[in-house]
Amino acid sequence: MIDAVRAQVAKNPGKRATAVGVRIGALAGVDGESLQFGFDAIVRDSDVEPLRLVIEHAEADELDLAWIEVEDL
Amino acid sequence: MTEVVILEKKVLNENQRLAAELRERFARAGTLVVNLISSPGSGKTRLLERTLESLPAGVRAAVLTGDIQTDADATRLARFGFPVRQITTGGTCHLDAKMIDWHLEGWDLDALDILFIENVGNLVCPSSYDLGEEAKIVLLSVTEGEEKPLKYPSIFFKSKLILLTKIDLLPYVPFDYALACANARSVNAEADILGVSCQTDTGLREWMEWLGAKLPATELQPR
Repeated sequence: MIDAVRAQVAKNPGKRATAVGVRIGALAGVDGESLQFGFDAIVRDSDVEPLRLVIEHAEADELDLAWIEVEDL
Repeated sequence: MTEVVILEKKVLNENQRLAAELRERFARAGTLVVNLISSPGSGKTRLLERTLESLPAGVRAAVLTGDIQTDADATRLARFGFPVRQITTGGTCHLDAKMIDWHLEGWDLDALDILFIENVGNLVCPSSYDLGEEAKIVLLSVTEGEEKPLKYPSIFFKSKLILLTKIDLLPYVPFDYALACANARSVNAEADILGVSCQTDTGLREWMEWLGAKLPATELQPR
């Protein structure tokens, strides 16, 4: 996910990512709280800080990187 | 100025791409691949031992077995004369398609009828990773509790076969077999469900028949 954010930022010079949206289905096998914990740990003190994770609930086993919010530097 | 860029990409996109390549390789070679998943101690390795020793002569099988540490399972399974490789993940709680790809190096898939993948003991993360297999198979032992399909729905939802293991212990444990089946059915109405015991061999014939049905040219019966 972080790599995808970096790739997106690289395509948009002069912008930085502020949030990333992930859709997680109840059958995806991913625990939202654990993902949030890991995400915060990776983002802290990294080149993408500050970056928010927005978890959206989805159907079945969906596990999608839905969107990235970027803003001008 | 703020803007939202829509991506709609699979989080595990890279794994899925590689898994699709593996699936194509397995199909081209005619190799049946099954991925055994359960919590630790449910009997994956024991089932594989009984399966390998029961395979009819001429069936060409191999095993990739995953663990966080040790090669204990590979040592156990290598006794049966089939190629076995241990995938030691070093802390990772699941196998992914890249690990499978690496550990197939040097194996001629055309010379394999069936490849068993024994995943790391874990009911959660392995469900998220496609390994290019034909079927995920989840094992649930009767010592674990009949509510597991409800607590870990992802793996039960994605499995084509649900094996209730250690059923010889049913007289000694408070496990409601019918309720376990109903719970599994509530998550996945399509999956086959079999009860097996590797101590008494109960259900092993049905298990081998299930595998055999996916290997049309081969009749698999326990010896």
